[in-house]
Amino acid sequence: MANAFRRTPWQIVGLVLALVYGLGTAFFLAAGLFALRFFDVELARSAVIVFGSIAVIVFAALPLLLGIEDLLDPRRFALYGMSNSRLAASIAVASLISVPALVITIIALAQITTWTRGPLPVALAVASAVVIVLTCVLSARISTTLATFLLSTRRSRDLTTIVGIVIIIALTPLIGLLASVDWTVDGAPTLSAIADVASWTPLGAAWGAPADAAAGSDGSAVAKLVIAILWLGLLALAWRALVGAILVRPTRQAQARQYNGISWFDRFGATPTGAIAARSVTYWARDARYLTNLAIIPVIPAVMIVALLVAGVPITVLALLPVPVMCLFLSWSVHNDVSFDNTAIWLHLVSSTSGRADRIGRLVPALALGIPIIVLGSLLSIAVYGDWSELPSLIGVSACILLVGLGLSSVMSAAFPYPAVRPNDSPFSQPQAGGSSAGLIQGLSFFGILLLTAPALAAAVLGFIYGGLFPLIALVAGLVIGLAALAGGVRLGARAFERRGPELLAAALRN
Amino acid sequence: MAPTPGTVRPNARKPRVRKPAAVTTKPREVALSIRGLVKRFDNKTAVAGIDLEVFAGSLYGIVGPNGAGKTTTLSMVTGLLKPDAGSVFVHGHDVWANPVAAKRKLGVLPDQLRLFDRLTGGQLLYYSGILRGLDKASVRLRSADLAAAFGLENSLDRLVADYSAGMSKKIALAAAMIHSPRLLVLDEPFESVDPVSSANVIEILQRYAKAGGTVVLSSHTMNLIERVCDSVAVIVNGSVLAQGTMAEVRAGNSLEDRFVELAGGRRAAEGMEWLHKFSD
Repeated sequence: MANAFRRTPWQIVGLVLALVYGLGTAFFLAAGLFALRFFDVELARSAVIVFGSIAVIVFAALPLLLGIEDLLDPRRFALYGMSNSRLAASIAVASLISVPALVITIIALAQITTWTRGPLPVALAVASAVVIVLTCVLSARISTTLATFLLSTRRSRDLTTIVGIVIIIALTPLIGLLASVDWTVDGAPTLSAIADVASWTPLGAAWGAPADAAAGSDGSAVAKLVIAILWLGLLALAWRALVGAILVRPTRQAQARQYNGISWFDRFGATPTGAIAARSVTYWARDARYLTNLAIIPVIPAVMIVALLVAGVPITVLALLPVPVMCLFLSWSVHNDVSFDNTAIWLHLVSSTSGRADRIGRLVPALALGIPIIVLGSLLSIAVYGDWSELPSLIGVSACILLVGLGLSSVMSAAFPYPAVRPNDSPFSQPQAGGSSAGLIQGLSFFGILLLTAPALAAAVLGFIYGGLFPLIALVAGLVIGLAALAGGVRLGARAFERRGPELLAAALRN
Repeated sequence: MAPTPGTVRPNARKPRVRKPAAVTTKPREVALSIRGLVKRFDNKTAVAGIDLEVFAGSLYGIVGPNGAGKTTTLSMVTGLLKPDAGSVFVHGHDVWANPVAAKRKLGVLPDQLRLFDRLTGGQLLYYSGILRGLDKASVRLRSADLAAAFGLENSLDRLVADYSAGMSKKIALAAAMIHSPRLLVLDEPFESVDPVSSANVIEILQRYAKAGGTVVLSSHTMNLIERVCDSVAVIVNGSVLAQGTMAEVRAGNSLEDRFVELAGGRRAAEGMEWLHKFSD
């Protein structure tokens, strides 16, 4: 719909970026498909089928995982009084005009060039191209509509996020597994084996039809095209039925869960600091945005370790990595905490909450997680590493990172809030209000932490090389700098919070 | 006229002036005084110099068409939006020069701002009470009373995110009252609240005013304001067009007629003949 162009400047920038990114990917893949024209049939067949099947999966699954808000939700048209068939057809045609549809169209057309190896392969490739585009667009339509419907309640949205994170975490070892296959030797047979199976499923059938024709097996080529067309027909019927069903179904209602008493609030003191701490802990445990941060923090060092292991760094050295890295991201994750509250921050303003109480209360969950991570994690890391004389270094550097990070975050979140994901939005969604400041502030708080940790880190490195007293120096330097930065950060942050209260609310209103 | 609010020292002359003030000859205490309040957004003037006096013990209504500057004014009164000019005094304390003292006497219900909705209703009340400096025992006691008064007893253990719009309004209203402020500033308190609940709320507010508390509330439901409030101000385009007791402002008409007259009269509904020739 041309309506996509009639929006605010920032949305247009976003759309243009999506377009550039999408077209870039498309042309990159198209060039690859064109190049495959000059490879031998068996390799081209495997590559096209495997990557084609992945493309189909991505089209069908992405809307479910991202919980995209559907602009073409059939319900939006319910009041215009069109017949179901006409509505279903109109929406399907309208969704052909979108960036993803453009990308798949380019790829499907490029796939024709791969099979310019005779009249039958070309004919089949043209037919397949049409089937591929329609299949992808219809799958995406169906899953987007289902996602909009199923994810209309808050709890189911949160749940999907958690499921998405689990999938991402589960994929990490899979990537490691794929990395472990020696592609130069086993690559072609592995790919070919996957392609053989995939080309008989609806995912790869359309991609497989011209490939089989090019390889000379005309019978299976036609059979695969028939499978693909039947699948497309099934999708069309399903789509038509879905539109009919969803128009007459009310929006899903959440059944509210009961929570007993005031839980965390009983465990902290009945002071403003205690109440804010309890509120923060409750949010970290209940809000999908914080849970996403929490889930990603252990994944980052895991991915780093896998990558460095592949590069040949020994595991004993890598064992020193996770604790400081987790401290870095844990303390950094709260540098925009006030924006996470959005406009609910008004309550702190009208009750003239002291900046100190606000700052310290917000740090409690990160400290409560960070300190056990440092203590237990360091012991575990050093046990793997094997040399206990490095323990003070590791604790010193990690504690320094955590404390400095929390100090800096205290200042940043009060002085330089930038738009964050709003409460109840998908943690993967982008904030509506754009701003060039976000990247700058993120970078500044990140490198500020590294800069202030440099002395402790330097001592730790010297201890790593020369041993002696350097690990102890790292411990003392880390703790002293860390505690000083934390105290200073809370002070400055408190002053900024008290002075800038109305500005914080105004910033949240623009978010 | 009352003594100039800037110089009133409530601490000095406070010995329980809680009797219904109307019969005494003593000048009534000014609960809220707004002077020369101005707010501009870019080039648009949202509030163009508003002056208001609200006496203790009154139920004061602020009415105005959409976009008249009601919410902007009330945000400046409650310390949520910094005014470009002018000052606000709550029982003699300047909200912007001496916020801690002023805000202690102030209970606030803003419009269209979020609540900490990942807390349960009970947690939100507790949180508000503790932030206002109450101790645990009195928060517990008052939470239970407020929940009963607003009909939320069975909803305290549910997340505010799962509340309906009316219930969210009620829990926010309860949270605004938990520290027993002298002045309540309520922006659209009855929006999306059902008739039974709003009758309850009105009764609570009337008893509160009778005990010496002051309520300033905004609404665009004229009937309700006319029925509930004893004084009223009409704000149009960021200026006060009329203010005073309900009888003065109404000047013999109904508030609604008077309001429409002040706000620019009815638009003649001409040129819409096609609406009366139905399409099928």
